[in-house]
Amino acid sequence: MGCLLAIITAAMVLLWAGRAPADVLKVGLLADFTGAFATWGPQFQMGVEAYQALHGKTVKGPDDKPHEIQFIYRDTASQGPDKARQLAQELVLRDHVKFLCGLDLSPHAMALADISKEAKVPVVIMNAATSSITRMSPYFVRVSQTVPQDVAPLGPWAVAHGINRVYTIVSDYAPGYDAEAYLTKTFKAAGGTIVGSGRTPQQETNFSAYMERVLEANPDALYMFQPAGSPSVAFVRAYVERGLKAAGIKLLGGGETQELFLPNFTDDIIGTVTSFHYTETNTRPANLELRQQVKKMSGDRAVPDIATLAAWDGTRLIEDAVAALGADADGLKYIDFMKGKKFDSPRGPVEIDPVERDIIQNVYIRQVEKGNGTLVNIDIDEVKMVKDPWKVDNPPKSN
Amino acid sequence: MLSFGLTVLLDGISYGMILYLISVGLTVTMGLMRVVNLAHGAFAMIGGYVAGFLTQRGCNFYLAALGAAAAAAAIGAATERTIYRPLYRKGELAQVLLTVGFVFVATGAVSEVFGAFPYPVVFPAYLTRPIDIGFREYPAYRLFLIASGAVIALLLWLILDNSLFGARLRAAVDNPRMARAVGINVSLLFTATFVVGCGLAGLGGALGSGILSLEPAYALKYVVLFLVVVIVGGEGSFEGSFVAAMALGVIDTLGKYFVAEAAPYLLYTAAFALLLWRPKGLVPPRSLT
Repeated sequence: MGCLLAIITAAMVLLWAGRAPADVLKVGLLADFTGAFATWGPQFQMGVEAYQALHGKTVKGPDDKPHEIQFIYRDTASQGPDKARQLAQELVLRDHVKFLCGLDLSPHAMALADISKEAKVPVVIMNAATSSITRMSPYFVRVSQTVPQDVAPLGPWAVAHGINRVYTIVSDYAPGYDAEAYLTKTFKAAGGTIVGSGRTPQQETNFSAYMERVLEANPDALYMFQPAGSPSVAFVRAYVERGLKAAGIKLLGGGETQELFLPNFTDDIIGTVTSFHYTETNTRPANLELRQQVKKMSGDRAVPDIATLAAWDGTRLIEDAVAALGADADGLKYIDFMKGKKFDSPRGPVEIDPVERDIIQNVYIRQVEKGNGTLVNIDIDEVKMVKDPWKVDNPPKSN
Repeated sequence: MLSFGLTVLLDGISYGMILYLISVGLTVTMGLMRVVNLAHGAFAMIGGYVAGFLTQRGCNFYLAALGAAAAAAAIGAATERTIYRPLYRKGELAQVLLTVGFVFVATGAVSEVFGAFPYPVVFPAYLTRPIDIGFREYPAYRLFLIASGAVIALLLWLILDNSLFGARLRAAVDNPRMARAVGINVSLLFTATFVVGCGLAGLGGALGSGILSLEPAYALKYVVLFLVVVIVGGEGSFEGSFVAAMALGVIDTLGKYFVAEAAPYLLYTAAFALLLWRPKGLVPPRSLT
């Protein structure tokens, strides 16, 4: 009996200690801060801190009560979905977070579907780009992108610009398959021909044999989808070294040429055309604001990437939702508030799809150029308000 | 067809040369000194980062490569005296645990100092372009790898098979007690050999960074390749490492060309088959035969 009493007391003390003071609203951000995917965490954090530094940590609720939005960062340590689930549980049960966010890799986001439904906690996904994710829980909202969304506009653009024969080489994992499928589909639909395709191991850095095959096929352009980092750097190196560039084969891609990664390449990457939802050099006021704040916080060489961008927009959505509904609204109420929301993101105008809770945004066709001695992406075309094509192809089943 | 065959051969050999350059140091530590040195990739990585650091600041590439070898050798000397020496008589488990720990420390340190992104070594411009080799344009860098690998293989063979140092080393490995009895300073000899092995790894890390890209995960990512080369070649056999590196390089390249889908497994399947065929390695060292 005494033992039971002690446990109850201890539990109550713990619960009480864990409860936030009334004016602090906690948001849990899950991301990899260490391990193989360690670049994501700090970039998310930079986006959150940049937004809060400029737009304030404290928002006034509908009843004029101030709420401080406090982010708690948890490191999924590149250890996969189980770790993400465990940390999310702790954040919900012990820290009583009102929102979860972050989530660099798709499996991490998928692992949170059940928790979000049981605990009725909205999850603002800031990367995890597998199309189907937002269908897995009504508490999911995505502010990043999907792979088909970024890739699909490139096919018609290529055909319209005299590229009729394309060879695709993608990395051998799910996003690579999505990219291959959607480029092939849209390119063929526009009248182009795929003359060959290859899949390379995820961490490949020796591309010589693949490039030989491309040379033999002699296409107008080579499309790549490679993970940022060593594989994409090695890919571009092999493309130049093997004489593909000299042979006039154009290089097409996506996220490989983010400004954050461009210093890793040599000038050989100049001329590469990519389709992507964020061009860092755009001069919209929100982007200038973000860039300036990032440099102020992390030094002149710091650049926002898609993680920083999505964290900035995600923080904004959360703060706006709390400002509109206060700190104690039901999880689905917050989600309803976010649905259909339109705002000016640093990337350009965006809208949260009122049905799918996924982002609708412009996709930009950019070319790598050298400006002021550094490599940058310059917009050469844009496709307005692209909805995730996978969702268009796979309409939700009506129950 | 002939031109294609030559191309694949050159690709395979140049890749094999890189594997050889780095693995040859591991042949020394694992084959001759019988230390399961899983940290070997870390020395290659350190060399690569030193070369990257120097060349990014305008240092001549060849000087930077020498600097890389020197830095890896210096760190090798320090760790041999402090970390490896007590391990020589310990079992393999202790060696594996400690050297893996060293890999984690090196990975963490590199990531902290140089960041998590890939770190480029700046090669001279003429090495980054294709050059005309008669029947086609071919990357100059790969030819450079083949040449430097061949030079080092020749030097090592001359030293080990034809010098007094080589004779002493072989004696010390085969029978350390007897070697001591005839007045060979075995301990010093091992330290020197270990240091040279680390230096070669550092050099290989720098020269090969155009194919095996530098990043904090380097030490762990590629060490499997180096181990495969040493084991398939025959532990402690320099000729074996050379033959194995060439064979695996060519098999890997052919595989990627013809059966790209199977490429990730092909190298390991080949290693498995080769070991089934010659369990002691392709060219076992003479002391074992």
